[in-house]
Amino acid sequence: MNNIIEINDLQFEWNNKKQFSLKIKELKIQNKKKIIIFGRSGSGKSTLLNLISGILSPTSGTLCVNNIEINQLSQKKKDQFRANNIGVIFQQFNILDYLSPLQNILLPCFFTQFKKHDKEYFYKRTFDLAEKLNIKKNILYQNNSKNLSVGQKQRIAILRAIINKPYLILADEATSALDENNKNDFINLLMNLCNEEKVTLLMASHDTSLKKNFDMSINLEKILL
Amino acid sequence: MKILINIALQSLLSRKVTVFLTIISLTISIVLFLSIDTLRLGAKKSFFGNVKSGDLILGARSGEIQLLLYSLFQIGSPTNNISWESYQQIAKMPEIDWIIPISLGDSHKQFRVMGTTQNYFERFSYRKDQKLQFKSGTYFKNTFDVVIGSDVAKILNYKLEDNIIIAHGIASQSLHDEFPFKIKGILKKTGTSTDKLVLVSLEALEAIHKDWKTGSKLPSKIKNKKKEIEDLDLTPKELTAAVIKLKSPITIFKIQREINDYQEESLQAIIPGIVLTKLWQIVSITENIMLSISSMVIVSAILGMIAILYSNLNSRRKEMALLRIVGASPKNIFTLMMFEAFLISLFSIIFAIFLVQIASFIFFPILDKQFGIFLEQKLWNARNLYFLNLVLLSSLLVSIFPSIQAFRKSINNGI
Repeated sequence: MNNIIEINDLQFEWNNKKQFSLKIKELKIQNKKKIIIFGRSGSGKSTLLNLISGILSPTSGTLCVNNIEINQLSQKKKDQFRANNIGVIFQQFNILDYLSPLQNILLPCFFTQFKKHDKEYFYKRTFDLAEKLNIKKNILYQNNSKNLSVGQKQRIAILRAIINKPYLILADEATSALDENNKNDFINLLMNLCNEEKVTLLMASHDTSLKKNFDMSINLEKILL
Repeated sequence: MKILINIALQSLLSRKVTVFLTIISLTISIVLFLSIDTLRLGAKKSFFGNVKSGDLILGARSGEIQLLLYSLFQIGSPTNNISWESYQQIAKMPEIDWIIPISLGDSHKQFRVMGTTQNYFERFSYRKDQKLQFKSGTYFKNTFDVVIGSDVAKILNYKLEDNIIIAHGIASQSLHDEFPFKIKGILKKTGTSTDKLVLVSLEALEAIHKDWKTGSKLPSKIKNKKKEIEDLDLTPKELTAAVIKLKSPITIFKIQREINDYQEESLQAIIPGIVLTKLWQIVSITENIMLSISSMVIVSAILGMIAILYSNLNSRRKEMALLRIVGASPKNIFTLMMFEAFLISLFSIIFAIFLVQIASFIFFPILDKQFGIFLEQKLWNARNLYFLNLVLLSSLLVSIFPSIQAFRKSINNGI
């Protein structure tokens, strides 16, 4: 099985935070696997996800996503690569209140795929996926997303991450703000959708109870040099 | 681009209160600037509107601004008069199309009395070659007929056939009470100094001064004054000034030189437009101060807008990070911020245009009636459009800084 992420001798230092550095000798993540990365707050989980998504650039070493060394891409290509190949789920879901749920889901398409594909294809894909996640059409067409429940927000966030048919979904502490019931619902929905869409999932969390839902778990503190 | 416009619009709508207040502050400053500028230009036009009639003003040799002020605006007093003979000589010049004699000196209540001829009503024009029009009645036909300006009629509540008494000199207690004048005409509002004039014939002025020598009234030999005096020779002996219109403007400097070199009497001719421009340069300091103040108001409003954009950056960190993650490039973030600034400025300009237009419909007629400042309803001239473009461009230029900050922060914050 191919590796979707390959990291070798990776080193990252913040310009203004000399005390923090992230050093990883080697890390390989297989395609279509669901991986959870554990670690205490401040251990570098989010930094690692930012490096994988190309938001941050490593100080040294190589980081390949789907065999592409993301750090070698120009800023513009890096942005497009991320939009086309990586879906991200945030801790607070980061739903833009002023956009409708439908616009929130289609946001990644607006910046990339709409240029290449038929607009109708993504609308149809949104409605199909929404149906699977039990989101009614009238909710998608609401004027704004202010009044969505936590459950609806998490599903919209999942849909937004998956709409562009990415290879990889990065989730950063996506369950930390949820109660037990919402957390289980969210994990189940995410796992089912990742299986159906055959997407690799890399989730950063400090909640070790989630371990059982994933194919593999990595303790970040153990792989850091 | 369409999505950026959509995001910018919806993002602004989601921050209604702050955006609305920003738009209001920018709108008010634009309205203030446009109002001051329109008033300034209107006042200038009104002032210059008085000089449309003639090519030259003839008067006794004195300061050119002084001659302009007393002949056209009836401000101040002449130091000397010109003789009727000299006036006649000059009026005969073949280059002259028409000439309006002006004789000043007396007053009625707070208004100046001006002696002139029928030519004044037929030839005098103001602003865009508008002619004097009668609101009621007509010009004087008999010696003791009088025509009054619209402000005189309004303030003193005069109507046709009312009798008025003229006082000797300005603010004098000596009245020409043996010669009551009858109002035969009331002029329509012009927005010029004519509105504040009491117009009589030159003969009438001559008649009422028959018994006066060196500013004092002599004991009269004439018993039945009004009747008998009309039988006397009422040809004026002196005039204050005259407005000259030439057949061809090419001869303007030639005639001016000839009048200035006139041997029989010490005369001068001035070109009213040039002298008025000189005068306006003196008072332009005030208008420049007003313009500077309103410009500062605009600058502060634009800076206020930028301050709001800056303060919003922090609360919009997540929004920017999300947009970056879903594929928005730094250029997209920059464009988004710039577009928001553009929309705020554009809405402010649209509201300002709307407000100024409404204000012009309400206040322009009032300014015209009350202060004689005639302002054109056509506000959207090249100058104003240039100014509005400048506001738009300036706000975009200063928005560059928070926009750069926005895309930098959006990268730093990450997921």
